[in-house]
Amino acid sequence: MNFELDADQDAILGAVGTLLSRHAGVERLRELGGDRPAYDGDLDGHLDSAGFADIAEPGAGNRLEAALVQEAIAMSLGSVASAYRLLVLPSIPTPIDGPVAVIPAGHSGPVRFAADASTIVVIGDHDVRLVDAVETTSKQTYTRLGWPAGTITDLPYGKVVADVRPSEVRAWVNVALAVELVGAMRFALDLSVGYVIDREQFGRAIGSFQAVQHGLAECAVALEGARWMTLEAAWSGDLTAASLALTHALDATELVFHRTHQYCGAIGFTQEYDLHLATMRLPALRAEALAHERPTAASVSQIWGVV
Amino acid sequence: MEFAWAAEDAEYRSELQSFLDTELADHWHGAVATLGSQENADYSRRFAGLLADRGWLTPHWPEEYGGHEATPWMLAVLGEELWSRGEPRGPQYMNANWIGPSIMAHGTPEQRDRYLPPISRGNAIWCQGFSEPDAGTDLASLRTAAVRDGDEYVVNGTKIWTSYGNIAEHCYLLVRTLPGDTRHAGITVLLLDLPADGLEIRNIPGVVGDHSFNELIFTDVRVPVANRLGGENAGWAVVREALSYERVGAPRWARASLMLDQAMSEVSDEGRTIDAVTVELVGRSRAACEAARLLCYRVIDERAKGLPPSHNANIARAAMVNAERMVASACVALGGSAVFEYGSTADHQLRKSLAAGIAAGSYEVQLNLISLNHLGLPKARS
Repeated sequence: MNFELDADQDAILGAVGTLLSRHAGVERLRELGGDRPAYDGDLDGHLDSAGFADIAEPGAGNRLEAALVQEAIAMSLGSVASAYRLLVLPSIPTPIDGPVAVIPAGHSGPVRFAADASTIVVIGDHDVRLVDAVETTSKQTYTRLGWPAGTITDLPYGKVVADVRPSEVRAWVNVALAVELVGAMRFALDLSVGYVIDREQFGRAIGSFQAVQHGLAECAVALEGARWMTLEAAWSGDLTAASLALTHALDATELVFHRTHQYCGAIGFTQEYDLHLATMRLPALRAEALAHERPTAASVSQIWGVV
Repeated sequence: MEFAWAAEDAEYRSELQSFLDTELADHWHGAVATLGSQENADYSRRFAGLLADRGWLTPHWPEEYGGHEATPWMLAVLGEELWSRGEPRGPQYMNANWIGPSIMAHGTPEQRDRYLPPISRGNAIWCQGFSEPDAGTDLASLRTAAVRDGDEYVVNGTKIWTSYGNIAEHCYLLVRTLPGDTRHAGITVLLLDLPADGLEIRNIPGVVGDHSFNELIFTDVRVPVANRLGGENAGWAVVREALSYERVGAPRWARASLMLDQAMSEVSDEGRTIDAVTVELVGRSRAACEAARLLCYRVIDERAKGLPPSHNANIARAAMVNAERMVASACVALGGSAVFEYGSTADHQLRKSLAAGIAAGSYEVQLNLISLNHLGLPKARS
């Protein structure tokens, strides 16, 4: 048990941090459209050529380093499907190039990256299928939740991937979504803490008021718990750990979304302030999480065998 | 960063579990044990003695005091396994975790010789005389006075919310030896032997357990100066050090997790189904327990690396409070009308959860410290 980065992990995060400082971040996201961003193919390319896209070996049970890298990407507000590439695709033995969208079988309605993906991964009850995007029809969805999204029509059944358990792929989807939630929440909380330190009312920093302090401290407790659960789930690949990590991350989201906006006041409503770039992503991730098997009910079933 | 248990800790857990499964099956009623009951205290002597025979009561203590310098991780395994079975050490977990180590660090040779062997044998019950009617969360405002009279202190005042005060043989007592509003600067620790002339102990009927709390009323109680732990007026540093890790010393998440298992097992045994809303609550509660588990482990990792106590202990403690409260709600939802039955799983967890945010430092103080030390927010004005 070791809660500190080892030398290799430290080096990996240092390298990805350098890459992200050049090719991701708020400024880059705003270039791409801010809360209505285009897919960042350039960032995908940089992550790929630097070796981060394949950081987890195919079939690896332990994807902790991939989770740490993805957390950094999420904190830098990357507009890419890297969470799926880094954390989910190692469970699928078929090589896949380009961005992916991941949907549960029977899904209808908007989904992240659908109009940009080269491959749609469909998770059914009994199989996992790959659909080449050229065989589908999709159109961009007008959304302001911080991600490119689209709606797919005419989705063919696709090719069934051999030797893959849907439950395992779903677990890694849970981990991927939890990491993205954690990264976005960290951005939002860090920004809000800075704001309440700087912003003065009644002659003092609003962050010196206990009501504000306690609200943010509770966000931190929830976020820290979700973060460590997510990292442990990425390390173990355990189905139940993944369900519980996403459950707790979703709980934390409820606190972080509302409280960061509450404490940032009216400036938090504006497009010029960066808060919404992270917070508005949270409901999109929640919707995607709940479109799959509900993680909380799944965890109860996995632990106690009932739903 | 990685989350695997060391082989020796995993092996120890397995060995400990085998022992506990055998020993506790016929002698212990698990997580619904009543704090401060005579039954609890009596059993703790048998059980702590058995642990001591195996070197498991004070494994982290130095060899010269009967320990074998076990790592904080091994101590965490011990705490986790025992709390998940309702803590059969009863009050003696405090002795092993911090009272004994505090006496080791600050006691005279005579105090160590006298007090440590019974603790390491599992045959001593201590209580902590900290809170007062007007000094709870603001402990440094305590007023119980100890005035020097030759070789003795004369103690007058009142301590309250004293768990185990009714059954203890000793009290780790905080008193004010410097009069006036001297706060931290005027506090001293005394090791008081019980019973003591002039000390009246009153039970406070409570809702957490039948005999959970006591009030200790001191009227000219005489305590030898030889029973002072550390220097006069130096007690705040002594107790602060002793309790520095106590926020995660009691892994309450493990007990809460057990209660949730118990409530789910009752549902299963009775062939009941649970509605979707309750399923959500149950899953979220277990997730909260797991969050608390990992946040406690992070603190243990710091301790194992010899790092000073940090705000991570406050985060872990706050997470444990959340977990205990959520589990209480889940148990009530699962139990349905069974909550009417005194001592049922739901009733018991509901009562335990009341104290979750108070014992070992109030929830609000944890949030204050997280704000200050983790988030870096400015100190709130008084």
